[in-house]
Amino acid sequence: MSTITFRLNEKNISLEADPASRLLDLLREDLGLSAVKEGCGEGECGACSVLKDGVLVNSCMVPVGTIEHCSIETLEGLRETDEGRCIIEAFADTGAVQCGFCTPGMVMASIALLRSNARPTLEEIKVALSGNLCRCTGYDMIIKGVQLAAERGDGIW
Amino acid sequence: MVKTYRPENLQEALRIRRETHAVPLAGGTDLMVRYRSWAGTLPKFPWPVLFINHLTELKTMGLREDGLHIGAGVTLSEIEREMEAPQALRAAVSEMAAPALRNLGTLAGNICNASPAGDAVCVLYALDAQVVLTSLSGARTVSVMDFITGPGRKDLNDDELMTDIIIPHANFSHVSYRKVGTRKANALSKMSFCALAKTKLGRIDDVRIAFGAVGPTVVRSWETEKKLLGMDADDLKDHLSAIHDDYDAMIHPIDDQRSTAVYRKQVSLNLLDQFLQNLVKEL
Amino acid sequence: MMTKKISDSIRRVDAVDKAGGYTQYISDMSFDELHYGRLVRGLRSHARITHIDLPALPDGYYFITKDHIPEGGKNEIQQIGTDWPVFADDEVTFYGETIGILVGPDREKVLEIERSISIEYEKLEAVFTIDDGLAMKTGLINGTNNTYADYHLNKGDVDAGFARADQIIEDEITTGFQEHLYMEPQGMVAQYVDGDYIITASCQCPFYLRKAVANVLNTDKEHIIVRQAVTGGAFGGKEHFPDIIAAPLVVAARVVGKPIQVVFDRKDDISFTAKRHPSRGIFRTGLDKEGNIVAMDVDVTINAGAYMSCSNIVLQRAIFSINSVYDIPNVHVRGRSVATNAFPSDAFRGFGAPQGIFLAEMHLSHIASHLGIDPASYKQRYFISKGDTTITNGLMHDEVKLPLMLEKAAEASDLYEKQRLYATGSGKGMGVSFYNHGAGFTGNGEKEIIKARLRMKKHRNGHVDILLSNVEMGQGLQTTFPKIAAAILEIPMEDISCDNPDTSIVPDSGPTVASRSLMVVGKLVERASQQLKERWDESPEVEVEVKYIHPEGCQWDQETLQGDAYPTYGWGVCIVEVEVDPATAEVETKGIWTVHDVGIAIDEMIVHGQVNGGVIQSLGYGSLEKLEYKDGRFYQNTLADYMIPTSMDFPMMSSQLVDNPYENGPFGAKGLGELVFDGASAAFADAVQQAIGKNINRIPVTPEYIMEVMNS
Repeated sequence: MSTITFRLNEKNISLEADPASRLLDLLREDLGLSAVKEGCGEGECGACSVLKDGVLVNSCMVPVGTIEHCSIETLEGLRETDEGRCIIEAFADTGAVQCGFCTPGMVMASIALLRSNARPTLEEIKVALSGNLCRCTGYDMIIKGVQLAAERGDGIW
Repeated sequence: MVKTYRPENLQEALRIRRETHAVPLAGGTDLMVRYRSWAGTLPKFPWPVLFINHLTELKTMGLREDGLHIGAGVTLSEIEREMEAPQALRAAVSEMAAPALRNLGTLAGNICNASPAGDAVCVLYALDAQVVLTSLSGARTVSVMDFITGPGRKDLNDDELMTDIIIPHANFSHVSYRKVGTRKANALSKMSFCALAKTKLGRIDDVRIAFGAVGPTVVRSWETEKKLLGMDADDLKDHLSAIHDDYDAMIHPIDDQRSTAVYRKQVSLNLLDQFLQNLVKEL
Repeated sequence: MMTKKISDSIRRVDAVDKAGGYTQYISDMSFDELHYGRLVRGLRSHARITHIDLPALPDGYYFITKDHIPEGGKNEIQQIGTDWPVFADDEVTFYGETIGILVGPDREKVLEIERSISIEYEKLEAVFTIDDGLAMKTGLINGTNNTYADYHLNKGDVDAGFARADQIIEDEITTGFQEHLYMEPQGMVAQYVDGDYIITASCQCPFYLRKAVANVLNTDKEHIIVRQAVTGGAFGGKEHFPDIIAAPLVVAARVVGKPIQVVFDRKDDISFTAKRHPSRGIFRTGLDKEGNIVAMDVDVTINAGAYMSCSNIVLQRAIFSINSVYDIPNVHVRGRSVATNAFPSDAFRGFGAPQGIFLAEMHLSHIASHLGIDPASYKQRYFISKGDTTITNGLMHDEVKLPLMLEKAAEASDLYEKQRLYATGSGKGMGVSFYNHGAGFTGNGEKEIIKARLRMKKHRNGHVDILLSNVEMGQGLQTTFPKIAAAILEIPMEDISCDNPDTSIVPDSGPTVASRSLMVVGKLVERASQQLKERWDESPEVEVEVKYIHPEGCQWDQETLQGDAYPTYGWGVCIVEVEVDPATAEVETKGIWTVHDVGIAIDEMIVHGQVNGGVIQSLGYGSLEKLEYKDGRFYQNTLADYMIPTSMDFPMMSSQLVDNPYENGPFGAKGLGELVFDGASAAFADAVQQAIGKNINRIPVTPEYIMEVMNS
């Protein structure tokens, strides 16, 4: 075990953890952040998406030892912000949510996209979501949700 | 419980590497999958792990006299956005995995994986890329193709770290990169193809052709490429089937869970033919 | 007051909680002193267990086997049959069969113990394919001929029909395994508290789970309480398969006395859960001089695997779907579910219909191509109409709007102009498929087996609870049920609750399967709401209970499989446009157009969500989702190798609805969850065969297969 110091959802945090353990497990089990889901544990599905220093990563691929001094953002830290609310409301309005298991990851991927590109094209949205698998929706309504969030979020992004 | 190291700088990393032979982990996108265990339990790494992703010395990318230098800690996303990177490399990188993994994964990791299906490796072969291997005793530079000695095997001493990738300067008038994946995105490749050519006064001045995932390592033939040098449109047209046959004899893919040997071979040759026929038209 | 139409979309009640990550799934829930369980599986296709070498277990760690089944309990899971044991009984009959369950509080320790268990086997011969099963290559697995069922359907006079035939077209068409790939893997927690077993599970059918384990525990059903946890997708994969996890888990819960969680890792979920049945159809069809069908003889087989599970019901739906939307004269269909040592196949969205429809759609396309006629036009000749006879000699009660639906789909896709432009074999193609899906249980299942009941309760504060056992698993029931009630009661949605079922609280309104929930149970919601409205002012608290009423005029004989197989059908037309890369045989889908008749949409956005999701899942089945059974196990067993569609694999689609109200569904609604899966894979395959000018005979239509066909 080692002391790991990092920034989590805008707060500095320091805790004991095994550096080889997965960020996913640290967030879900030690910190109770269950918006981060495990869908595959092999970097393929995106359900465990978080932001590391502002960029989208799969937390199942990240050993805790590599987040020292990094900033980690999870949906818990974003869902009450203007950005988070904008995406969540847009997803609700376009029918982007069905079983919901992929949705937190989709929201994170959408935030990552819109932060860097406030007016994405259809193709750019598809690329940005391509690492987040959904088995319920067929993606159209999620894509429309991102488009709606971009449209409504003028000034937020 | 496996021992892990988080060095403060490259010098310390090299010292740990020499003393413990800990295995470097940059993006983790390969090692974390390979050694994953039950959810909520530790990955079962069989050796000590050396985290290197935070080392600033490995994060630089830029043009130098001998070519484009890409630090071992530079992520695939960063290469994808690098305007100075060769077109074929950016194309290959942009089709690897998905955005979140490209934000973690590194080109150095992709090379050290030494997988014949590594998409970028096929392009690096064609670009005559080199890698810099550094230890406390110094650094050596070897070509990517000499570095990868077989599937999963590489010429890396246990006190060395890959610190840099060098892509020599070169300009190509014809660039073809094609990944045939298991689906349109977030896919592993069934095979990949990279062909680069430069023409001068209606003749082939430089040409490199590489095939990924069709043998134990990337397939590239200097001998056949040499035959192509100097050809004009008519020469090339006359030699299309001979060139095709050359590669036909070199490509020996396998059946696996992603594709079949027959398919891989035929697609390889189809893409080769397509490239050469276009070249005939454009010479 | 309702001022809008019922179909007008509203926001789903669960959307914001799910999108905000507030919703807790089974793996997110906390339990005191939670223990962790791992199924210890027999990793042999067929073998006798000769010895299990178990290390000394530390305190608090348990290895639970059949010896722990309580006195009087049986080592059998009560499904439709009882052949699937809780724990392998001396013999492992498929790769991955449960032998025991290892339980403990610390997962690293559990893993360590698991690694030191060694199981010795005596190898027995195994068969995996339909042909080897039928040939009884290794002797008997089930019955007298290695089938679980052998059905025959006869319509008209097949012999007389063939006697008039001018030529006979033969075909062999196959479909592969398909993995559900719900995004939330299988998971549940079981605990034993004061004589009660509490199972909290990601599942579709809480009362199935209760029934499945009752005999194992030798206890009254009342002592088994099943609580549905929020279910992150299911698609049939959480219909019966949770029984297979729950049965050993409850045995362990009793011994351990602590809550135990089993959540599958993805690789285990792909490797060791049931899949869609692979199928094969062998067709012999007689044509007269004008190319009209005079007789059709079809042999349908499905690979059921080592235990029966629900294979025979799947088989019934598969053979009933062989003529789906067509009225074809003189048909004989034989259907067999074949026993093999493959992992037992089970329910998957469509439940045999996608297989039957794919086989038949391709065969009819092949006949049309053989005759030089465009398949869609040829198939139209046989569209069934109201009053026509179905393949089970029942009556088509529905008004069939297929011609209108085709017209709409053709217009949206510019079908005829594109067909004119894209010559056969040009690399570009338009594929068309037609399909229907009988909504609800087969025949009289609702009346004889399910006997659904539902309660609604008005509280003093005016709040209304809908008490039923159907689960929200993404399809929107917790929005559509209250929406129906709100429209009738004329109260706001917010005043109505429809919570995750708990078998100790809700009546049994049946399982969440067979596209029955909205139509059958929704009708009960409608009727209960009407009764509640009438009695609203009777007293401060009012409770009403309603029971299922079988539609009049629907006759069915389950012995002979004759009569009205379904009370009504949803209908669909799907058009797919593709372009095939000549160098790589990769297929680019350029467009997808669908038109569906689902009666009346209770909520258009939810319906379009089902259409979009079902069609893409079906296109995955038809193009990407290769799942081979190699060396007795699933070969593509990680998410890196089992390919489901991503956001980039298919274009945005066009989907339209036509209204065709059904009197026995709420507001005229019919079932649709499976319908929308049934046809797209056939449209895709048809488009590819138009593009390459050669017949396609199996799915998935991978580039490897296309190249093979093009080379032949």
